[in-house]
Amino acid sequence: MIGLAGATLVACAEKAIPERQILGADPARGLALIEAEGCGACHRVPGLKWPRGAVGGPLDGMSSQTMIAGRFPNRPDVLVAWLRDAPAMAPDTAMPASGLAEDQARDVAAYLYTLDAD
Amino acid sequence: MPTDAPPAHDSLKGWPPPALDPAGPFAAPLSSLTWGLLAMTAAVLAIVVIALALALFAPRAWRQKLGGERLVWIAGIAFPVVVLSALLAWGLTLTHKLSEPPRPGELRIRVTGEMWWWRVAYLDASGAEAFQDANEIHIPAGRPVALELESTDVIHSLWIPRLNGKLDMIPGRRNILRIQADKPGEYGAQCAEFCGGPHALMALVVVAHAPADYETWKARQAAPAVPASALVSGKAVFDRAGCGACHAIRGTDANGLAGPDLTHVGARRTLGAGVLPNNQGTLAGWIGDSQAIKPGNRMPAYPVLSGQELRDVSAYLESLK
Amino acid sequence: MSGPPVQSETGFDPTLYERFPTKGRRPKGELEQLEAIWCAPKGWQWIMAINNNYVGVYYVGAAMLFFVLAGVLALLMRTQLALPMQGVLAQETYNQIFTMHGTVMMFLFAVPAVEALGVLLLPQMLGARDLPFPRLSAYAFWAYLIGGLAFFCSLFFGLAPNGGWFMYPPLTSTTYSPGINADFWLLGIGFIEISAIAGAIEIIVGVLKTRAPGMTLDKLPVFAWAMLVFAGMIIIAFPSVILATTLLELERALGWPFFDAARGGDPMLWQHLFWFFGHPEVYIIFLPAAGAMSTIVPAVARTPLIGHWLVVLAFLATGFISFGVWAHHMFTTGLPGVSVGMFSAASMAVSLPAGVQVFSWIATVASGRMKFNAPGLFVLGSLLIFVMGGLTGVMAAMVPFDWQAHDTYFIVAHLHYVLIGGMVFPLFAAIYYWTPMVSARPLSERLGRWTFWLMFAGMHLAFLPMHLTGLMGMPRRVYTYAAGRDWEWPNLISSIGAFVFAAGVLIWVIDMIRNFRPFGASEAGNVYEGGGLEWLPAGLYSTRSIPVVTSLYPLWDQKNLARDVAAGRYFLPGAPTGGRETLVTSPVNAEPQHLLRMPVPSGWHVWAAVFTAGFFLLLTVQAYAASVLSGVLAIVCVLRWCWFLDHPLPQQTVDVGAGIELPTYASGPSSTGWWAMVVTLVVGGMVLAMSVFSYVFLWSRNPDAWRPAPNVASLIVPTASALAAGILALSARRALARPWLATIMILAAVLLLGLSFGIDLSAWRATGLRPQANAQGAIVHAVLAWQGFFVAVAAIMALYVLLRRLYGYVGPNRPATIELVGLFLAYTAGQGLVGLGVMRLFPAGLA
Repeated sequence: MIGLAGATLVACAEKAIPERQILGADPARGLALIEAEGCGACHRVPGLKWPRGAVGGPLDGMSSQTMIAGRFPNRPDVLVAWLRDAPAMAPDTAMPASGLAEDQARDVAAYLYTLDAD
Repeated sequence: MPTDAPPAHDSLKGWPPPALDPAGPFAAPLSSLTWGLLAMTAAVLAIVVIALALALFAPRAWRQKLGGERLVWIAGIAFPVVVLSALLAWGLTLTHKLSEPPRPGELRIRVTGEMWWWRVAYLDASGAEAFQDANEIHIPAGRPVALELESTDVIHSLWIPRLNGKLDMIPGRRNILRIQADKPGEYGAQCAEFCGGPHALMALVVVAHAPADYETWKARQAAPAVPASALVSGKAVFDRAGCGACHAIRGTDANGLAGPDLTHVGARRTLGAGVLPNNQGTLAGWIGDSQAIKPGNRMPAYPVLSGQELRDVSAYLESLK
Repeated sequence: MSGPPVQSETGFDPTLYERFPTKGRRPKGELEQLEAIWCAPKGWQWIMAINNNYVGVYYVGAAMLFFVLAGVLALLMRTQLALPMQGVLAQETYNQIFTMHGTVMMFLFAVPAVEALGVLLLPQMLGARDLPFPRLSAYAFWAYLIGGLAFFCSLFFGLAPNGGWFMYPPLTSTTYSPGINADFWLLGIGFIEISAIAGAIEIIVGVLKTRAPGMTLDKLPVFAWAMLVFAGMIIIAFPSVILATTLLELERALGWPFFDAARGGDPMLWQHLFWFFGHPEVYIIFLPAAGAMSTIVPAVARTPLIGHWLVVLAFLATGFISFGVWAHHMFTTGLPGVSVGMFSAASMAVSLPAGVQVFSWIATVASGRMKFNAPGLFVLGSLLIFVMGGLTGVMAAMVPFDWQAHDTYFIVAHLHYVLIGGMVFPLFAAIYYWTPMVSARPLSERLGRWTFWLMFAGMHLAFLPMHLTGLMGMPRRVYTYAAGRDWEWPNLISSIGAFVFAAGVLIWVIDMIRNFRPFGASEAGNVYEGGGLEWLPAGLYSTRSIPVVTSLYPLWDQKNLARDVAAGRYFLPGAPTGGRETLVTSPVNAEPQHLLRMPVPSGWHVWAAVFTAGFFLLLTVQAYAASVLSGVLAIVCVLRWCWFLDHPLPQQTVDVGAGIELPTYASGPSSTGWWAMVVTLVVGGMVLAMSVFSYVFLWSRNPDAWRPAPNVASLIVPTASALAAGILALSARRALARPWLATIMILAAVLLLGLSFGIDLSAWRATGLRPQANAQGAIVHAVLAWQGFFVAVAAIMALYVLLRRLYGYVGPNRPATIELVGLFLAYTAGQGLVGLGVMRLFPAGLA
């Protein structure tokens, strides 16, 4: 059992794309923020059982997606900026400026980067 | 705006158990009664367990003493009659005391149970409706408030465990529930009678203000909406999508009565009857597809709205403080 | 115990009992004849079996099947609730499942299970060869099984009811529940209630009329006492829910607004009617289980029950008081203070009889020496759990506490403690205790211990935390709960407990599969050394001969009883009329009155059950033509099954043993049929009484909107014709010397009933009152419809009499049919008069 878990971890580590890691950010705090802010009202977020909103895209596999919102490269700095003020980058998006502080957005992004395609 | 502040429904926490954590004079005796009853229960259970253990394991002489009709008469009839009579006297006195009708001039708020939210109407001295709000009851601390409980669809039940027990909302009837919060604060409440579909997701928050703050709140709430002028596009979306057919925003053309009054929706603590935190994002998610969040609720999904429209309308509503 | 009764109840000479046990050998071939007459069904004949040894086992088996099925639903719910905001069950599915869990447990498990226990055990305990109406109990069983399974299957199509087992309108009205889900409940349950009532009639008549000679009421086994009170309570309580379901179905199907506040109805009427049934229901379930406890405790402690009479009085007191507590389910509806106080007091008083029983069991344990075998463990577990549930019940009876606890998990905990402690554990004790009576092998003591400990631990693990969850604010009937409300831990523990409990049940199922071998040539016998007649050596014909009973525990006190009974030295050692038969005795002293010839297996009752179920289920899915056809076929089957009843035998009297001659035909109060008809009419009368209550209740809600009744002059003809119908119906029996005259009197009585009904109906219609318009219209038409239904049944009965006359089956030598039809007609006339009087003169008479 433990061996299997270890093997999975190793596999994950190998698959994880190095630049999609955010140093010093806390994914657990990120998930708590996602819950408190109600991101689930629009998005299906793995790790969040409810709500599972259908307005925004599901966030499964964020760490392995190449694009953010289908048009911006999936890089930590871009994702953090998107999380803080999406309309500034794409005026036609439904996603409002969240008002998250930089370190909060980094935590959220760090959580999203723990989400693998599988 | 986002902070480390606790989530909006923090007042709904289960520990300490709200039924044993009274915050006003209507709930306090219920809590004492509960403790008294729990003590009685523990004592009687102990007696039964000891009697049973003696009956099973005690030496023969002891068992012979227990093994007769005398035990039935003493422990099964005389003892319960005494205990139950005492309890009954306590319970009925308390029932009588807590069922006193509201005093004349007591503040009145009409709470109507709807499938699956709460319509809250603040009444003036003459009993006429002054203004409406939804899913929150604001009261001044330190004063009794009479809630007129009604329903227009099915039976609901309002339960604010820290302020009083529950009372049903029954179509065709009006029940009066009196509450009082000794201190300002937020007190969780929810529907306790199964009312179909998402009954589980029908919560409410009672907000007790210091008396002066209450007057301020009331004055602001009674006033019509004042949206920021920059948000005209959001209001246009609201009008175009026909939201005003179900929702009212005082001071605008929107005058629908089916859904919650949105005049000051941005000032509410929660969205969807105590379900979601209230911010622009959750507003957008709710408007876009509330069915994915609270299945079966009466508001349809609005997939026709574009991303920008959704953002505009949610910004507009969020500004209605 | 007391000696033989000094005064005879029926004129039977009690000294005749001294002839038993008889001396000398029984004639050769007598036992073989008995065995041949009561032979086991072969092949597919098991479907047609009517012997209680078979039907009782089927019945218990079906009830346990529903217990397992509803238990699986509970596991699904506990899986969903184990963690917050799980998606295991969708909201709508969960609402259907919790509704079905409650409904199936109450209507398809609890009531049928205890009724089944009665069907299985009573004939043996009372020393009868079978229950007095074996086909009726077989019919009740098949109707229940077919209807219950079809009802359960509605889950698989997403059509299961979803309004809670209490089905409160207006949530269950067509406005808020437009699908046929609610109709499944109303029609499905409505019809299972009929099956429960049929069983209750059987049990009442069985206990009162088919006891072993000498088994006076003071020697009646405590279990039979419990079953008697139980059946009586069903007769009083179930009509209320039959009326409630009928009214709601009328509102749904035809728009009659009984519960619609906008049209003068009141949703509270449903709550009164439902809980007038629903609370006694809890004691209905509990009493037979308590009877089983009071039988098993003395057996495993090897000593007579201490306080036998106090326990019996406690049963009766429970029965009475339980009809005064219904509104304690309504303390949060804003009832007036006075009634709240009364119901609170009654709810506390009803715990007194329970206390009497608990301490009489403890005293019995103390006076004997308890054995910790499987039934013993379940009895002790039951006692503890039940006391805990009873105590939280006293808490909930305190109105101010109930304001907090009502509709929360505290109540979920309370009711499961009461029902599991008061019914499920005693039932398992009973299953372990009585299995050796019907099975060739007893159940395993080792597995039994596992079952007990897992169920006991699982029970507390699941339900003890729920008391806290409730005080923590968690309401009942929620499909999920938000995270962060601190309810996670208690819910997770409860879910684990549920699975532990289920593991116990699973081990019991394995035990049953391994060891339960019914219908065999031999039985394991009296392994727990009980003292009741059911432990006499027996075959499918029950005991070889029917003993004279002189003790409450005949097997303990009457020497050589088993040997003498098996040797045929008591009543009815053979089959003097050559068919299935049993002794009918008097209700108080159990003096032999006559010999009852019993029916043989046939398919008619099975077909009747199939078509009855078909009628209701087809009605649910709105296949009206097919439904009516099915209903007609059901009636034909019932009439066909009745056809060969009321046939005098060539021998007017026979020797039932020791030269005692008894008649082979009976009518009037000494016959079982008369008792069954009277009990049936009590059911009708209770429906009428609850209708009158509904009428007055709805009037009191809107007295100003009540329009005047037709003028008093129009009362004359309907009243006179109803009176005339009643007199004709009751005197038809005396005219039997001229069979055609008697037949015509019955037919004329029905015509007069129809006339009375028709004039009354048209007078109301002439006032412009319409059933859809307002609550008055609805309730007046409902009472009229109930009367119309009785007139229609009366007409079918009259045609049946006419048909029998044409076949020459009406005559002075067979008065039973005319007498029973006459009783029914006379009741219908009386019911019509009550309806006329109440609705025409009230409230006008007040002014």
